Order: sequence, then C-alpha cells, then structure tokens
Amino acid sequence: MLAIDVKQLRKQFNVQKNREGLKGAMLDLFKREHTQVTAVKDISFEIPQGEICGYIGENGAGKSTTIKMLTGILVPTSGHIQVNGFVPHKDRERFVQGIGVVFGQRSQLWWDIGVIESFRLLRKVYRVGEADFKQRLDELVETLALGELLNRPVRKLSLGQRMRCELAAALLHRPSILFLDEPTIGLDVVVKTEIREFLKRLNREHGTTILLTTHDLQDIEALCSRVIMLDDGRIIYDGGLEELKARWGKGREVQFQFNDPIPNERLEALTGGLDVRWTKENEQTAKVWIPLEINVSDVLSRVVGTTDISDIKIFETSTEEIVREIYRTGSAETDQQRADANLDEREPTARAEAVRS
Amino acid sequence: MRIAYTFELFREYLANYIKTKLTYRADFWVEVVSDLMFSLMNLVFIFVVFQHTPALGDWNQSEVVFVYGYFMIAQGVFGCFTNLWNFGDRYIIKGEMDRILTRPAHSLAQVMLENVDPPSLVGSLVGIGIMGAAWGELGLPFHWYDPFVLIVMVIGSVLIYSGIYTTLAAISFYSDAPTGIIPLMYNIQSYGRYPIQIYNKGIRFLLTWVLPFAFVGVYPASYFLAEHADRSMAWLTPVVGLIVGAIGLVVWNRGVKRYRGAGS
Amino acid sequence: MTSAYLDFIRIRFLMMLAYRVNYYSGIIIYAINIGAYYFMWKAIYGQADTLAGFTVAQMTTYVAVSWMARAFYFNNLDREISNDIRDGSVAVQMTRPYSYLMVKMMQGFGEGLFRLLLFMVPGMIIATLIFPVTLPADPMRWIIFFVMIWFSFLINSQLNILTGLFAFFVENNEGLMRMKRVAVDLLSGVIVPIAFFPEWARAVLNWLPFQAITYLPGSVFTGRLNGAETWSALLVQVVWFAVLIVPILAMWRSARRRLFVQGG
Repeated sequence: MLAIDVKQLRKQFNVQKNREGLKGAMLDLFKREHTQVTAVKDISFEIPQGEICGYIGENGAGKSTTIKMLTGILVPTSGHIQVNGFVPHKDRERFVQGIGVVFGQRSQLWWDIGVIESFRLLRKVYRVGEADFKQRLDELVETLALGELLNRPVRKLSLGQRMRCELAAALLHRPSILFLDEPTIGLDVVVKTEIREFLKRLNREHGTTILLTTHDLQDIEALCSRVIMLDDGRIIYDGGLEELKARWGKGREVQFQFNDPIPNERLEALTGGLDVRWTKENEQTAKVWIPLEINVSDVLSRVVGTTDISDIKIFETSTEEIVREIYRTGSAETDQQRADANLDEREPTARAEAVRS
Repeated sequence: MRIAYTFELFREYLANYIKTKLTYRADFWVEVVSDLMFSLMNLVFIFVVFQHTPALGDWNQSEVVFVYGYFMIAQGVFGCFTNLWNFGDRYIIKGEMDRILTRPAHSLAQVMLENVDPPSLVGSLVGIGIMGAAWGELGLPFHWYDPFVLIVMVIGSVLIYSGIYTTLAAISFYSDAPTGIIPLMYNIQSYGRYPIQIYNKGIRFLLTWVLPFAFVGVYPASYFLAEHADRSMAWLTPVVGLIVGAIGLVVWNRGVKRYRGAGS
Repeated sequence: MTSAYLDFIRIRFLMMLAYRVNYYSGIIIYAINIGAYYFMWKAIYGQADTLAGFTVAQMTTYVAVSWMARAFYFNNLDREISNDIRDGSVAVQMTRPYSYLMVKMMQGFGEGLFRLLLFMVPGMIIATLIFPVTLPADPMRWIIFFVMIWFSFLINSQLNILTGLFAFFVENNEGLMRMKRVAVDLLSGVIVPIAFFPEWARAVLNWLPFQAITYLPGSVFTGRLNGAETWSALLVQVVWFAVLIVPILAMWRSARRRLFVQGG
C-alpha cells in the first residue's frame, strides 16, 4: 500500500500587493490588488510504506507548503492527495490520529511545565490507552535518553534536548507516518547523529514511513534511500540517492603526495592515453581528476609503481556539490533522461537501508 | 462521545493551566485584581451618573446595577472559555495554528482550551454577589426555578459572546490584518447592559439583531425584574445564543480551510 | 537625525493604512461609540437642562470631542515596550544610533496621526450631521484645542512608556498595564466628565495627570473654559508633561544600567 499518493497537486496563494508610498497606501484602502503566487505546481509522487524520503529544495521552493498539505494544515488548490488512505484536509481529525509531525522551528510542548505533563496531555488528545502509553513512553525514554528531562520545564531544555522531546511527543500515538520539517536545524553534530540514528531505528523496527525536509544534506545521506528535489514548485528530481550520485557525480579526484618534487611533464607522461587532468598543488603535491568511465585503479597502478609516494587521498563528489550543481543548472535531467521522461518509468526504490554516508 | 472527549480534554488543559500558574502565582492575582478594577470602573460610572439623576429611562440605580451583575456573570464565564484576544497574532501570524491542525481534536476547541482563563470566573462570582445584593434591595420575589432560568440565560449569553468573538477571530483567516477589531468591539459590548429603551431605533436594532449584545445584559436580566419584565425577549436569549454560536462555528470552520500558514 | 524620526512616523502611518478591515470597522465602531454615549447621556439628562454645569448641547459636543481626542492620543506603546523588553529586542534597539523612547513616541504619533485624519475627521463629520454637536466658531479655540490634544498625546504616551518600562523591573506588568488603561479611561473624563464626580473625588483628580488627557481639552472645546482659564488649562498640561519626563528618564537610566550590568 502507498503511504502517500500525490497527483497533480497545486497550491496557489493570493498575495496582496502593496502599492508604494502614501498615495498607493490610500488607494489600497479602497481597492486592493492581488497577485497570485503558485507555490506548488502540479506535482505528483508516490511514497510506499516504510520508506524514508528526503524532500529537499531551496527556501521558497514549496517544501513546507507541500508538507502542510500532506498533514492537513493547508487545503490544496487542486489535485489529489491521499495519505494513509485519507484525504488529509477532509477528514482531518481522524487522519491526524495516524501521523506524527515535528516542525523543527516550532514547539508542540507546553513551555512552562514539565515535559511529562505535555506527554500526558497528548495522551488524552490522541486517546492513547494508559497501558499502551506507559509502554510506549518507556520505549521512547530509553531510545531517546529522556529519563532526566521528563520533569524539567521545556523552557529550561537545550535545543537538542527539546528536539528529542519533540520527537517523542510526535510518536506517542504510534503514527505510521512521520513528517519532519527541518528536524536537525540548529543542532550540534552529536545531537544530529543521535537523531538520525533514532530515526533509522524507528524505521527499521516499526516500519514507520518518514518524510523529511531538510537543508542539511548529511541528513539525506544518512537516512534517505529516496530523494525528491523541488525547485520553484516543481519536482526536478525524484529517485534514489545512489542514482543521483551516479548520474551527477562527474568523476573523482585523487591527490598524491610525492616524496620528491615532480615535474608536470612526468605526470602527464605517466597517464598518457588516459583522459585525465592533472593539477599541481605545490612542488610535491598533485591532484588528478578521473572521469567516471576510467577506473581509479588503472590510474593508481600507473602512478604508484613508478614514483615514490608518501600519501594518497581519494575524493568523491559530495552530495552537496551535486545538489549545488543541479540547482545551478536548474534541472536534474540529463538529455537522455528528458527523452525518457515521457515513458514515466522509475526504478522501484529499495526499502530503507542505511546508505553509505 | 465527542462531547465527553472534549470535556475530558478540558480537564487536562485546566490541570496544565493550574500547573503553569502555580509557577507564576502572582500573575493569577494580578489578573483577578485588574479584572475586578475594570468592573469597578463600570460600577463607578453607574454610581456617578445616578448622583445626578434618579433614573435612566425609567430604570433606577438598583435595576441598572442588577443588570450589570448579570452582565458580569456572563462576561466572566465567557472570558474563561473564549479568550481569543490575541488569536490573530499568536495563531495566524506566528503560525501556531499549524500545531493545532496536526492534532485530532476540533481546532476551535483546542484554541479555546489552550487559552482557558479561570481568573475571569472570579468576576462571575462578584457578579452573582452584585446581582444578589440588588435583588434584595429591589425586594424581588424569589422562585425555586429562578436559579435554573439564570443558568439557561447565562449559557445563552455566553454563546452569543463566543459566537461573535469567534467570528471576529476567524476574520484573521480571511484577511491578513491582525484583528484589531476585537478590542474595539469590547467598547460596544458594554452598551448591552444599559436599558435598551434609552437608545434610538438604529442602535436598538443593532444591539438586538446585528451585534446582539443586548442579550448579554438587559434582555435576560429583565426576566427577573418584575417592573421591566419582557419575558418574550428574555426567552429569546438562548435561541439567539444557539444561532449566533452556530454562525461563529460555521465561519470558523470555513475560515480554517483558508488558513495559509505562516511564512513559507 | 530628525528625518529618520519623521520616517518612523511615516512608516507607522503606512502600516496602519495597510489593514483596511481595521480601518473600516474602526470608523463604524467609533461612530457607534459616540452614538451610544450620546443617547445614554440624553437618558441621563431626562428632563434636566444642566447637570454638573454641562448643558445638553455641551455634553453632546463633549462626548463627540472626547472620543475623537481619544482616537488621537490612544496608543499601545506600553504593550509594545514591554514586549520589546520581554523578548530582548530592546537591547538590539539600544545599539542603534537613535533614542529608543523617541522612536516609540514617533511611532505612537504616526498611529495617532492616522486615526486623527482617517477616523476622527470622517467620524466628526458624521457625528456633526447626526447629533446636535456645536463646533466652536472662534478659530483661536480650534488652534488651542489642537495644541492641547497634542499635549494629551504626549502625556498619555508618557504614562504608557512609564507602565511599559516597568517590564524591566517586574516579571509581569500585565496587571499594571490593564489598571493604567482603566485609570486613563475612567479618570481622564472620556466615560464621565470630571465635573460629575463628587467633590472629594474632584479634589483628588485635580492633582493627577489624567484630567490633562481628555477633560481639559474637551472643556476648552465645548466652551466651558474661557479666556484665562484656557491658558491655565494649557499650563496644567505643560507642567504635567515636564514633570513626567523626570520619572521616565530615571527609569530609563536605571534600566540601561541593569541591562548593561546583567546583560539583559
């Protein structure tokens, strides 16, 4: 069954135009002008149950708007959404019973009272049975290490501590889908890792479907098997993370540290016949760029045997660079893909597995 | 079922309110005192005025005070449950509505529950006191069913207030203006507690049928005042209450569909 | 520097213009306020020609003009300042090359100017058409009146600033702000002219700044104060304005010291 099924989803906002100056403001008082902004432009995608999907895009690309439509907060202008078998905005109160939502920037906990009090209240709101609640709470307290935090008021928690509590709050009613909007924003590296580990475990053990928006591509690398990339309200890439790298990672770079100074001509000669490019960092250090078609080992074997080397480093293009490159060119489709696009076939994406990070 | 659920939620939210307020105990009393000051100011107005005139229309001081007591009861209950003063600011502009909408309870119920304001119930108690004192002074008869009538009337009045203010709050869903109307409206509601006969036709019509604030004061209270008893208007109070309350709910429900979220 | 301050006035003015729901409802509500008070006072007068030295005509004019003056001097600087203090943005403001309090004052003025031109003028025209308001014929009286409501604005804003600055020293100044609001409405003479208060209360009020906000300009406008009395009324306002500067500066100094020592 599909956890999320979106077809031709569109959201338009009426934005009020403010005319300039005093005269403009006076005119606005009597007749107001509006412009229509389309935040999400007829997007379609499907997310099967149990997948962790990253939803990325620059500010204003329409990420939050989509998430808000998927969670029943906003009503779409047109199109079709089905999440967990519900149309979110139509049957909101029953629908939200089955989802969990964490907005990184906004707390769902009561500021002035102990965390546990918020949890108890949420138990009532979500109508979770006492025994079930206890069991679930124990589990979350253990996996998220909340033990000491439970009796502290939220305003006394650090951001990382608070985020752990937010996650617990969103999961008390065992939702089958979890929506995360910037879950790691502003957190330090250790906490980020903890949260990623927790999410992976949640997905593995409970099969929870997770859809997250993020600016931090390390979140994506650590968690997601699937990426949906959004630009100006349109989906510009939807597919596996590895696929994205394979298609867009244009090559690798290897850096050699030689024991003796080595002239350029010598290096060029070593790799003669191969389509590689050398750059010198300094007298004893050089980098070689190797396109995808050529095996790294071929290059290495030619260099290593004949020179005296103290160190070798291999660099692969990072996701971040790939994404930056995609946004720069404005499309993730290669020419070939553009031709294929009409066929609308996509490889089935693997179930969430830890992707190489 | 649903009502039982909401009621249970009310208990929980109230418990959380109390826990919060226990940390800021002084606030509670500050709020009670300033609420009472506000009521006191209105009473001072009545007393000052009656120093210069024996009657307002043909209502004497005790009668006007009696109506004011009734008004305070309804106002206190309303203030406790429908505390929507900064709804537009907090829920629309700052976007807290997002959170509300991801939870499985009616959105209006949640907003009302999150803002319960028990100190204003103290005003109701004072109102009962004032009404009782005026009752004695006027030598009104007391029937066994009077308290029940009073409860029905107060419920009707509270529904009227809640309906009107819910509608006003829901305007924030439609227009991007912060609802500065609410404090302005606050001035108008006070006119419902003076004898309606003193106003001209236009204002009388306004206070009866457009913004029915007269049903939160003079009409229902006149049920108990033998001399001004207008039973038919008095009994309209719960009816108008249900209608206005329903309008508020409908406007709210439609408004929520137009919620746009804060920021991007 | 002055032009920067003028810009604060302009921006606040434009900001007010941006919310047209507030604007339209504001005009209607002010008109209703004047109407309701007019009829209430008519009922209070009943058969009497004068009460507390006010003729019916003077009272009508007084009601209209005091609400209009209120439109001009009213602002929420107390709330704005205490919010700035609470969320810490006051510290940021202090790093800017202008005087924070001056900026607040200018913003309040922009707001007042907006209401003066867009509420008060149309409202006053409507009120004059509907109710027997008598406007003074003497242009001098108009000039003095405008000078006086300028001081009303200054004094009311000073009181707002004082209450707002309390947020530096107490954890919660909500109650204080509410009480100030009650005090200004009741004791300044918007709701009931000070002449109606009993002798002892008047004696006390003569020594408080509130009368300078509404009662004095209203009395000049309605022609109850003439000749030398007018000038002494203006003098009272000037004196209060000067006197109130002292506690504001004192509080501001010690607030800054607190902020710099404790780091907010």
